[in-house]
Amino acid sequence: MLAKVKSFGLQGIDGFPIDVEVDVSNGLPHFEIVGLADTAIKEAKERVRSAIKNSAYDYPIKRVTINLAPADIKKEGSLYDLAIAVGMLSTNDENGIKNQGDYVYIGELSFDGSVKKVKGLLPLLISARSLGYKNFIIPFENSKEASFIEGICVYPVKSLDETVKFLKGEQNIEKIEHCSYEDIKNQKVSGLDFCHVKGQAMAKRALEIAAAGGHNLLMIGPPGSGKSMLAKCFPTILPDMTFEEALEVTKIHSIAGELDLNEGIVSRRPFRSPHHTATIIALTGGGTHSKPGEISLADHGVLFLDEFPEYSKQTIETLRQPLEDGVITVARNKATITYPASFTLIASMNPCPCGNYGSKDRECRCSPSQITKYLSRISGPIMDRIDIHIEVDSVTYDQLKSVEEEESSEKIKERVNKARQRQIERFKNDKNYNNANMSVTQVKRYCKLDDKSEDLLRGAFESLKLSARAHDRILKVARTIADLEQSENIELSHIAEAISYRTLDRKYWE
Amino acid sequence: MEEEKKLLLFLSMYDLTINKLDQIYSVLGEDRSLKAFFKSKEIEKLFAKDKFEQLRQLYDENRISNYQKNLQNQDIHIITRFDSTFPSQLKNLPDSPYFLFCKGDLTLLSCPSLAIVGTRKPSNYGRVVTDKFAKALAKEGIVIVSGLAYGIDSIAHRKCLEVGGKTIAVLGSGLNEIYPKEHMALASEIASQGLLISEYSPNRKATSYTFPQRNRIIAGLSGGVLITEASIKSGTIHTKDFALDYGRNIYAVPGNIDSPSSELTNETIKSGQAMCVTSPSDILKDYAVMKKKEHKTEQAIQLSMDELKIVSLLQDGMKDIDYLAKNSNLSINIFNSYLTTLEIRGIISRLPGGYVVKN
Repeated sequence: MLAKVKSFGLQGIDGFPIDVEVDVSNGLPHFEIVGLADTAIKEAKERVRSAIKNSAYDYPIKRVTINLAPADIKKEGSLYDLAIAVGMLSTNDENGIKNQGDYVYIGELSFDGSVKKVKGLLPLLISARSLGYKNFIIPFENSKEASFIEGICVYPVKSLDETVKFLKGEQNIEKIEHCSYEDIKNQKVSGLDFCHVKGQAMAKRALEIAAAGGHNLLMIGPPGSGKSMLAKCFPTILPDMTFEEALEVTKIHSIAGELDLNEGIVSRRPFRSPHHTATIIALTGGGTHSKPGEISLADHGVLFLDEFPEYSKQTIETLRQPLEDGVITVARNKATITYPASFTLIASMNPCPCGNYGSKDRECRCSPSQITKYLSRISGPIMDRIDIHIEVDSVTYDQLKSVEEEESSEKIKERVNKARQRQIERFKNDKNYNNANMSVTQVKRYCKLDDKSEDLLRGAFESLKLSARAHDRILKVARTIADLEQSENIELSHIAEAISYRTLDRKYWE
Repeated sequence: MEEEKKLLLFLSMYDLTINKLDQIYSVLGEDRSLKAFFKSKEIEKLFAKDKFEQLRQLYDENRISNYQKNLQNQDIHIITRFDSTFPSQLKNLPDSPYFLFCKGDLTLLSCPSLAIVGTRKPSNYGRVVTDKFAKALAKEGIVIVSGLAYGIDSIAHRKCLEVGGKTIAVLGSGLNEIYPKEHMALASEIASQGLLISEYSPNRKATSYTFPQRNRIIAGLSGGVLITEASIKSGTIHTKDFALDYGRNIYAVPGNIDSPSSELTNETIKSGQAMCVTSPSDILKDYAVMKKKEHKTEQAIQLSMDELKIVSLLQDGMKDIDYLAKNSNLSINIFNSYLTTLEIRGIISRLPGGYVVKN
């Protein structure tokens, strides 16, 4: 007896259809899975057998062969269990399963016959929908995740028994109701808010600009100056994610198994802060069981690298491609996978190894060559991709205790959202969607200066000794400042403010 | 005279210590020529056996002229004690160098000069003070001498060049082996607009004892030595001691008594070795140059109300940016843009650590 059911596999962040073919024939009892299956799939044999037995169905004492087609693509994971079990049961007419071919099955089985959650459901469903598949049977625990996709019928099941009864028509399962993204996107409260950060007016303003234009930012300051606190608050002022962005982020988080199944979708911009001992693969993704890395998990969100120079030089250099292209391509021996990775980089560092360089009240113990060495760990090409650098100084006790009302994240976010809206308008025919990603020609087109501003910029280069690479960065940041003020043209004050965010270009690190 | 010059040129190739050169000179007495040098048994004793033999073999007329040409190609002048360009103030020192390798404007050697020296790790106070003195004195035509080191030295050179002044850098290494490497660009700027000098042959690397030796030239070359900021452990103490020996004026800028980086300056003032200076005019008095009136009022008129507010907050010294932003009552974006325009116009300066100071 032969049965064929559908399932889906995952490659990178996209799904591809898999035919699960079950052949049960006479012969010595035997169970074999073919089709480049990994160990997790091979072990399905035990799970499927126990699940079928413990759900009070007959396990065929025959020769069972399963083929996962296409047979030449490597398959991973435990999400084919349900498809294999349904396939096996439908080879036996006594079970009375009909229409088993109408559905796509995704789910892992437990020995007692219950269906357990799987990783990466959302990307599978999205790919399946675009290929025209309509009906799905998925684990109940994953229902929330599936509810955000429109135009498909998804039936959540809790056990194998329930699935069989549903297929026989004995039991009705309510399909998952579509849940609108708009309803949930504004509900989130993270507890962090800029109104809790006292003082640091300069840093806050710089972060606001970074959020509005998608600029990468570097904070330099002594230990305990609140760099990490500022960075953690940063996501609260980032513009809301669009549904498409949220789906992309959710896909990645789903594959990495980092999705909160109660929420089902990532509606807040992610904030990732890998430790500086993180390996390159932990950042970029890949590995034997290809998984997206930290920079992909930070997609459309923030990648915060605390103590930036402490990361190994190689690790920092690998950030070049993603910072430029918004994707990371990982080549492994089995496949080359591209994960999205368009994040805003927020980095922080001390001004010198001991951290007290330039401090008024504490003495720096580092030699000049140590300081130069420390700063030079961050190469020019990486510096080139960071638009804003600011100095953050420690907050005084008085500032800490001041009762003055600080501006809340919500208010800042409002301005940021408006500025982003202008950028979306501006770049609607282009590939990029924010000022930071402007190409050289776009900078020429959108960042025109009047004569007065041009003079100021020239003056700045001469008197402040800015390096040449600062030029375009300043223009981009000035564009964002103009956007924040809803101004069509870049004014003198905008360019002047932009110049003040180029600390590291100054020559005073001597 | 010609013979003696040849001898010195020949000796300059071998990086001999001052001591050795002194010994050679005392043996040679009046007959200072290469011939006498190679003939003398006593001189032979001054060198290790094979070393002297080597010298003899290496010597020929072409070698010296090639050497001279080679230096010329690199724009390096070598001046010996017998050249008219050799600075007279150095000639009279007990341990005067026998020759100097120079690159740049040799006329600077005869101009009134002041050494500005100090710590390699200045505080913001040290930066501000050095900036102020170097600029003001350079504007008055005084040549600023320093040692191209990190910190005060490089600030003095840079600020001097910024206002179009002249500066001399005395190196503790050969002219082709700039130390520290980070100051390569600064060195070439000084070579084109000022003067680089060294008593070491061009490819000689710096070692720990070449720097104190270099300090004696800094002290000897200059009419006076200004210490803007230095701790008690600083190498600046050598420069100070040499200056004392040579009878140069020493000026020191006082600092806070609890600041470790002002220990040396305060100490020298207390002990009476240095004159306490608080403004560039204190030094200018000794140089017999009249301070010209500056036209600062012009700038003040052009300031807007808001800019004036920021500048007035800086009236009593250095402030951090957050303090300024808060007390100027300006919104942060406007404040930032004013900060830049004020800085470009040279009214204020920004310092490491997020501090701002009025110039």
